[in-house]
Amino acid sequence: MNKIEAKNVDVYYGAKQALFDINMDIEANKVTALIGPSGCGKSTFLRCLNRMNDVIDICKVSGVVKINDYDINQKDTDVVRLREKVGMIFQKPNPFPKTIYENISYGPEIHGIAQSKSEMDNIVEESLRKAALWEEVKDRIHEPGTGLSGGQQQRLCIARTISIKPEVILMDEPCSALDPIATAQIEELIDELRKEHTIIIVTHSMSQAARVSQNTGFFHLGKLIEVGSTDKIFKNPTQQQTQDYITGRFG
Amino acid sequence: MNSVIFLTIVLLALSSYFFGRKKAILIQSNKRLTALPKFYGYYLAIWCGAPAFLLYALWSIFEPSIVRFFILSDYSSQGLLEGELNLFYEKVKSLSRNQYSGELTAELQRSAEKYLNFRDITKWSKVVIVLSLLIASTGYAYTKISNNTKTREPVEIFLKGVFFLSSLAAILTTIGIIFSLLFQTIEFFQVIPLFDFVFGMHWYPAKAFVRDASEALDPSMYSDTFGAVPIFAGTFFIALIAMCVAIPIGLLSGIYMAEYASKRLRQYAKPVIEILAGIPTVVYGFFAALTVGPFLKDLGLSLGLEVSAESALAAGGVMGIMIIPFISSLSDDVITSVPQNLRDGSYAMGATKSETIKRVIIPAALPGIVGSILLGVSRAIGETMIVVMASGLAANLTLNPLESTSTITAQIVVILIGDQQFGDPKTQAAFALGLSLFIVTLVLNIVALSVVKKYREKYE
Repeated sequence: MNKIEAKNVDVYYGAKQALFDINMDIEANKVTALIGPSGCGKSTFLRCLNRMNDVIDICKVSGVVKINDYDINQKDTDVVRLREKVGMIFQKPNPFPKTIYENISYGPEIHGIAQSKSEMDNIVEESLRKAALWEEVKDRIHEPGTGLSGGQQQRLCIARTISIKPEVILMDEPCSALDPIATAQIEELIDELRKEHTIIIVTHSMSQAARVSQNTGFFHLGKLIEVGSTDKIFKNPTQQQTQDYITGRFG
Repeated sequence: MNSVIFLTIVLLALSSYFFGRKKAILIQSNKRLTALPKFYGYYLAIWCGAPAFLLYALWSIFEPSIVRFFILSDYSSQGLLEGELNLFYEKVKSLSRNQYSGELTAELQRSAEKYLNFRDITKWSKVVIVLSLLIASTGYAYTKISNNTKTREPVEIFLKGVFFLSSLAAILTTIGIIFSLLFQTIEFFQVIPLFDFVFGMHWYPAKAFVRDASEALDPSMYSDTFGAVPIFAGTFFIALIAMCVAIPIGLLSGIYMAEYASKRLRQYAKPVIEILAGIPTVVYGFFAALTVGPFLKDLGLSLGLEVSAESALAAGGVMGIMIIPFISSLSDDVITSVPQNLRDGSYAMGATKSETIKRVIIPAALPGIVGSILLGVSRAIGETMIVVMASGLAANLTLNPLESTSTITAQIVVILIGDQQFGDPKTQAAFALGLSLFIVTLVLNIVALSVVKKYREKYE
């Protein structure tokens, strides 16, 4: 079943068109990787899926993006509810300047999920456990989240995102600021998370796409060139451009 | 005469720059230079201008006292007091300018002639010596250039020296001011006990009328005169009122400018707010004294309240308006510098704009905001014109914002306006107040700067 269906999506930054007529279906409980050279529009597309482009004044999106068969680009879409269902991890770890505990409790608090202190404690512990961070920080969850290492900060951001149990998690190059060991931990985590969430990950690393994803979409110059199972894209692409990119002839 | 010498030195130095550069370009046609031709120009210009200027400056500084020494050398043998010598020397000078109208003595006339002679000699010898030093040093540097010496290093060292001297001047001035405050304050506390000053409840400096210099100093006559509690209380009270106005309006407008205002609005609105900071405080002063004060008094009357025309509320309120742009502009800056990815992180969690501002951006910017508030407080405490004009000069100890009260700065003005006598406790009280004010604002600034610094380290 398709979790997300994008139809005829165009995106403009001012007068410049960043995405051209994107049509893409994303399967539930799978990891979909978006690959392509810098500036190809893959991050822009990702930000269409939780309307994060609203934050940018000059950005205009048209077309239909359906999540659970509901078009999120309608005028009366409740963006707060949408982002509760569609979480996002950013390129650079961005923990809030608060304690580890407060970083996790932020989402449940603003959405009124926890009814009591003990319930909140449970959510915090569960989220940190799912993000494979609990063992490392359980003795200092009341210390600032900014004091953690880069990889820990990124897992904290993942824990923060899953604290409100989103159905979809968008990841925008989540490992590009991390060292190989931290990257391996995050990749392992992604595979674990896919049981409960649908994941879309933008990555510059083709090997990462090959390792973590089941489906892959290749973007080039604002167009979706090819999309399909990761196996097929990497071993037997139908488009010449995809072939060239995969084999490292450009990008 | 002096300006002619000065201009000559500057012009010669300028032309020797071009001369040195040209010379270097000529040398360049034969052999490789060790630096760019312009460094040869700088080198020659520095050697031309710097020694001559230094000599000229030193000469100008020491000339008057040397001349004075020679004129008075045969006169002082009569064993006169320093004051009388000064008087005599002033007479000599005014006679030499033909402006003397007092009694003429033979000695005075002789000294005046001698003075004129001396001035002539020093004037011309100054020109000759300075210019010959200029020629000698330029010639020395010129031969150095011909020998293709290193020029880049000396120029760099010279510039380093100029920068060093500039900062030294700034630092020494600061230290000098602090020490002058300190010495006068120490003298003050030798007459008035520190305890009486810090804990005394009555401040009536007018009681300490200027005393006759020949009379012995009697500390008991100053008891209950220099108790600083009322004016410290007044200072902090008015600052408190000012901050009650400035913090909410400044902070909220700063947040609006940083987070909500469109680029266009911000482009026009921000300069308008900053114009508030450019209004001279004396203008705020009469605004407070002539507009706000009477308005509050009338308003009070219609409400059946007794409001003094010069109330703490009027002064503090207007002072708050003056401080708004500082807090608004600084907190706008710190909020804008909160990384965008924190906002994105919060929005992506489904937070609304106000939730993001309240729970993520303000906490992240808090140290900077606190810093801006502390800087605002130190402005409020140091502000003078508004309180002098609008808050009254009688040092009442009161917590009623509708009454008049006075501040440290206003009292310093009161003490030092009109005739003063140095060495008098009344005058020295101004220094004691100045030092206390200095210490308070210094501490506030240090705290504010360290808070701001801590904030900066966090996001680098």
